[in-house]
Amino acid sequence: MIDKVKKELEIRFPLLKLVREQHNYLHIKVDKAAAADAVLTAKTSLGFTTLQLISAVDRIENGAFQLTWILENYDEQEILLISAYFPRKNCVVPSLSQIWPAASAFERELFEMFGISFPGNPREGEDFLLEGWKDMPPMRRDFETEEYARRTFGERQPREHTDPRQYIGDVVGEWNTPMGRNREEEK
Amino acid sequence: MLSNIMSILLTVVTALVWGLLLGGISRNVTAKIHGRVGPRVTQNFIDLWKLFRKTSSIHHGGMFWMAPLFRITGAIAVLLMVPVVVGHNINYNMSFAGDIFLLLYIMFFGCLGMALGAGNSGHPYSVVAISRGLAQMSSYELSFSIAVVAVAVGLHTLRIEGIVAAQQAGVSSWNIFRFPFASAGALIAFLPMQMAYPFSIVLAPQEIPIGPPTEYSSRFLSFMFSGRALFSVAKLLLFVNLFFGGASSWMALFVKTFLLYMYAIVVSSVFPRFRTEQSIKFLWLVPTTLALVDLVRVML
Amino acid sequence: MYCNQPPKKPGDKKEVLQKITNMARANSLWVTAYGTGCGSIELRPLGTSRFDMERFGIAMRPTPRQADVLIISGYLATKTLKRVIRVYEQIQDPKYIMALGSCTINGGMYFDSYNTLNVLDKYLPVDVYVMGCMPRPEAIIDGFSLLMKKIKEGRAVGWKHYRENLDYYRENQKQIIKNWDLPDYNW
Repeated sequence: MIDKVKKELEIRFPLLKLVREQHNYLHIKVDKAAAADAVLTAKTSLGFTTLQLISAVDRIENGAFQLTWILENYDEQEILLISAYFPRKNCVVPSLSQIWPAASAFERELFEMFGISFPGNPREGEDFLLEGWKDMPPMRRDFETEEYARRTFGERQPREHTDPRQYIGDVVGEWNTPMGRNREEEK
Repeated sequence: MLSNIMSILLTVVTALVWGLLLGGISRNVTAKIHGRVGPRVTQNFIDLWKLFRKTSSIHHGGMFWMAPLFRITGAIAVLLMVPVVVGHNINYNMSFAGDIFLLLYIMFFGCLGMALGAGNSGHPYSVVAISRGLAQMSSYELSFSIAVVAVAVGLHTLRIEGIVAAQQAGVSSWNIFRFPFASAGALIAFLPMQMAYPFSIVLAPQEIPIGPPTEYSSRFLSFMFSGRALFSVAKLLLFVNLFFGGASSWMALFVKTFLLYMYAIVVSSVFPRFRTEQSIKFLWLVPTTLALVDLVRVML
Repeated sequence: MYCNQPPKKPGDKKEVLQKITNMARANSLWVTAYGTGCGSIELRPLGTSRFDMERFGIAMRPTPRQADVLIISGYLATKTLKRVIRVYEQIQDPKYIMALGSCTINGGMYFDSYNTLNVLDKYLPVDVYVMGCMPRPEAIIDGFSLLMKKIKEGRAVGWKHYRENLDYYRENQKQIIKNWDLPDYNW
């Protein structure tokens, strides 16, 4: 079954690269200009009508975001992944929210978390998860999470000693038992 | 005059303590059915005192403040119209011909006041609960009224005292045996009155968090709790008087009300909740038909 | 439905009455049914037959108006903090906060997250911390008994502290909640 899908896609997009193939699973990589076209073809003529997820991976060493549209053909129980690399700087990706309304939520999330812009999404820029975030998008790999957390949320001052007797000795009282005292004397 | 005031106070305080104790016992029984240990029997008194001493800074308009008072007033009015112990002059009793019909009306006075107040709080869950509650009330009120009318017609009296007096010739003269269908209908209508479980669509803790009292807190809630305890005792007394031969002594009173309360609790803890339309359909069909059977039998 | 005035400072009542009231408060703790993190899954066994918190007079209330205790059950995201503040301020006095898990104490395993706060008592007055990741129901019962002890002795005064130092808490809250759109006083 998936062979038929593969052949059909290879005829329409001769430049595609095969990433992985299983009996009901196909992962292909296409050029960024052909990405939206490939997703649309999969929906309209190959029966992949469900959009499961749009995911992004920050390939900082390639200077690109890898976007993957995960589509499902529920009748045939087949899954098709279409990946494309988009340049990291001022990343602009065509929006699919007119075709799948559900895509709008994924696109808004990617805009917040990675700063990927989807022109054509009417709700782009609305608050999704991070309310009023003004910093760099936090899922980018050049975002210094630990430094940011320390700067924003602070740290509890650590204890000066690590000996629990200092802190719980009076409360628990177990440290004052003869056994505890004996152990101390032995040292 | 003074003795009247004293007996009113005695009745109300006894009913309040007994109602709160019954609540504590019922929480224990429910816990035992769940396989839990359960709270103290006096837990309701502790809750009441804690609520009474909490501060409140909520204001939602005049009706919001009045509703707990409406509820408590309705409960006390019902309590004073029902004879507590038969042939015992310690209880003040507003008895007159036709009081059974006034009682039927005034029983729902507290609920209506509550509906106005909770509606004033503006919380959507309260409003949902009120619309459900009023719909359900009009359906169980029907079967209960028919049952009461059947009893009143059958005994040729419109006084509660007269109905009680007609049942004093031994157990077989109790109305539950003389009017079995009407009693069955009224006992089914008793469950939604007590907000017991298959009909608990008003409070529905998992659906519309707690229903009408969502916005009520602290002192308001403590008034509402005591109003509910009083009202449940008043309803129990009414049922004991109408169908179970009244109470000839305090002991008989406590035993009979306790058993009747346990009936609601046991049914409540083994049933899941009806949906609104299921509950109303059931109440329109089953208890109403049962009560009508006896009414027709009595009329013929 | 909001107040425009700062809340009044609470006063002390007569002593004997206060003692009886404290006993009643300690033995009738009503918990807001609001779970913020993974810890709220540990609250469910508390209500059922194995641990049965009702024997201590602890009950779940579905609305903050009727509750006494707010349990911060685990990690607290900044987005959730906004809701928690509203819930806390809608609880009527006296009110107590119990914080579960190491996440609320020092960030726990989310110490370097961009969205999870590390030191809870900078933003809300915490009466009892229960350590663990996650604390077992036994530990939560232990925390409750500690809270009861504090209430009986009249030491659980986090709510008074919050009212008296409202400016301090508000400043900290506004620091991490970027789009502050709560009214300044909402109880």
